[in-house]
Amino acid sequence: MKIDLAVIGQGAVSPAGTGLNALLHHEPVPVPVSVAALGQPGQSWPVLRVDLNDPALARWQSESRLRRASSISFFLVEAAEQALAGVSPADRAKTGIIVAFSAGCVSYSRRFFEGIVTQGTASPALFPETVFNSPVSHVVSVLGLNGAAYALVGDETAWVAALQIASVWLRQERVSQVLVLGAEEFDPIVLDAYRSARWLRRHNSAHGFLASEGAGGILVRRATPKDARKITIARDGFIYRTRKEASAAAQRLFCETDPALPCVRSAEHNWLRSLEQKVTANRPAIPTDNRPYLGEAFTASAAWQTLRALTCLDHHSPSLLLPIWGLNYQLGLLEIENAK
Amino acid sequence: MTRSIVVTGLGAVTPLGGDFSTSWNALIAGRDAATPLDLFDTTKCRCHHAAVASLPPLPDKATRRLPRASRLAIPAAREALASAGLLDAEGRSTLRELPFSVSTTAGAMALGEDFVRHVVTKHSSKSPRHLFSEVSRYLPQQQVLDVQQALGFAGHSVIIANACASGANAIGHAADLIAIGAADCVLTGGFEALTELVFVGFDCLQATAIDRCRPFDLNRSGLLLGEAAAFLVLESAEHAQRRGVTPLCHLTGYGHTTDFFHLTQPQPEGIALVEVMRAAATQAGITPAQIGYINAHGTATAINDGIEAKAFGAFLGEALGSTRISSTKAAIGHTLGAAGAIEALFAIEAMRSGHLPPQLNLQTPIPEIATALVGKNESASGMQHVMSVNLGFGGSNAALIFSRSSSP
Repeated sequence: MKIDLAVIGQGAVSPAGTGLNALLHHEPVPVPVSVAALGQPGQSWPVLRVDLNDPALARWQSESRLRRASSISFFLVEAAEQALAGVSPADRAKTGIIVAFSAGCVSYSRRFFEGIVTQGTASPALFPETVFNSPVSHVVSVLGLNGAAYALVGDETAWVAALQIASVWLRQERVSQVLVLGAEEFDPIVLDAYRSARWLRRHNSAHGFLASEGAGGILVRRATPKDARKITIARDGFIYRTRKEASAAAQRLFCETDPALPCVRSAEHNWLRSLEQKVTANRPAIPTDNRPYLGEAFTASAAWQTLRALTCLDHHSPSLLLPIWGLNYQLGLLEIENAK
Repeated sequence: MTRSIVVTGLGAVTPLGGDFSTSWNALIAGRDAATPLDLFDTTKCRCHHAAVASLPPLPDKATRRLPRASRLAIPAAREALASAGLLDAEGRSTLRELPFSVSTTAGAMALGEDFVRHVVTKHSSKSPRHLFSEVSRYLPQQQVLDVQQALGFAGHSVIIANACASGANAIGHAADLIAIGAADCVLTGGFEALTELVFVGFDCLQATAIDRCRPFDLNRSGLLLGEAAAFLVLESAEHAQRRGVTPLCHLTGYGHTTDFFHLTQPQPEGIALVEVMRAAATQAGITPAQIGYINAHGTATAINDGIEAKAFGAFLGEALGSTRISSTKAAIGHTLGAAGAIEALFAIEAMRSGHLPPQLNLQTPIPEIATALVGKNESASGMQHVMSVNLGFGGSNAALIFSRSSSP
């Protein structure tokens, strides 16, 4: 789908810190912390966490709307505020927001249901915060947005769907600009889930990924010929259930693209990496090996990869492909260009 | 809308029936589907009943093993495609690439609940692979994949989780895709299966009724939770014409906005709801007085219905009373992520058949809209436009307008 979005604002919260600079140039490299899985307290795993005491995040604790919110809402509000930097209150009121989630509010959801299982009771204060769109509602309220708001669910490719919807809203003139974000929070229950899938990296191993968390996002409006950084095409719908189907989907993913377009290799430390290397082997690659690894935070990772790819336009290529490797449903692809 | 959008297929599984026409006939007959709930333990809850759907039989072993959410969604989606003439002799979609715009709030949460239960009680006899199968398939995209694989189509999909307005949003997004020319035909709707987490959640908020669910009644005490799946086939009018299909109606208006007053409560005057109804009417190019029937959100909670009644008064003005209003949640329960979709189907069928879904369990109506609420055996032939409205946690508001096919 042709989407033609001009990127006019960017924001990130990651284990590297808050802000785009931290995402792109962080020093020192974030250090994993050791966290025990809930189901096996004796077994711990390296995890990349966001520092909630970072002043950029801690400043939101005074917001009454966030008094019961879990960390995902703080990540989102901060990333959204960065992307909205310089946008007037009047323009914020005409700004739509679309947030892509995979596990969403997993921390309160687990705590709420654990209460039911272990104590037979559950906290009414937690339940509303378990709903997928509650962090979106908090962002809208705290930052004074008054446009449309959608919460989307899926694997990493929900980020691609979010960009497509932003394009639809802008073409419909429902809003004048759209915040598109991806966000995830960590909870120990995800270690149990990823462990059962054999997705996790053990200490001192190079295989598997590190669980991570954070948010990333961009502010977009309809692109004009004068705009520099643009996301022009978003493709999805390459669904799979088995690895064999994923292999076939990966072949189809690139079939309508210019073979000379360089590709950012974005499958990091997961089973899709060898597939990516195979289907992009004959295509120029954007060097990314020196960038520090930030772990797997699903939709947030898709946002971070997009932010990083946008910077590649300045240094490596005026246009490029960014595959979005969904781990649980489908594959997607973005075409990004710098018109200047 | 820039391109004319038509509805060509409908399908549903509800607590009132395993297909849309059975559900509709039971609704018009005034049946309600509240029943004691035995899908999980409710001993420690205030409320012990819900509107539970009977799962339609599925043809093969593989689909019978699917989660409840998929077993609701697949037959409803199949019925919608069949009624649009888009199924081949093998029961597969004739369109191999078919955009899919879907809503849910919990996906197959019951599988996620099982996983958490096994982890926190540490009494699991299940293998890691079995546990992985559970946890990886609770996510909503897996039910979407179940539907796509069962009915043989692929393509762009989007899952909207805007709480109880999601179903209307999914339909509205499908219409947007067609309107701008990004798609010619879209399967859209929502699904929701009853789960313990959600049931206990509403129960601990004391939002569930311990007696009958009485929308728009002064003595209402809460909602009836339900489960359902409902789908529509939307097409551009040209696409339907090329296929030689007679449209059921047009989708002419969609409005959506966010009320940031409170996470779980609408702004007291219902300003966002009024705004969203006006936006939908403006897009449809009609006045409020032209709307014959509104399928209201009407949860029967203390806060929602009073504010919604005020919003209808503000939106309809002098037309209040001539426009007929009812909430069908008293009959099929609040189906959350499916609510916007199934209620849109009921609004469409009211316009097509001239029969209006009665406001069940009404004893002492809220005075503001007492004259507008649909009574038993009411009919209204010749309605040109109907509306379905939904509100949700997080301040999601959405409204859809459907118009008779002879209308623009």
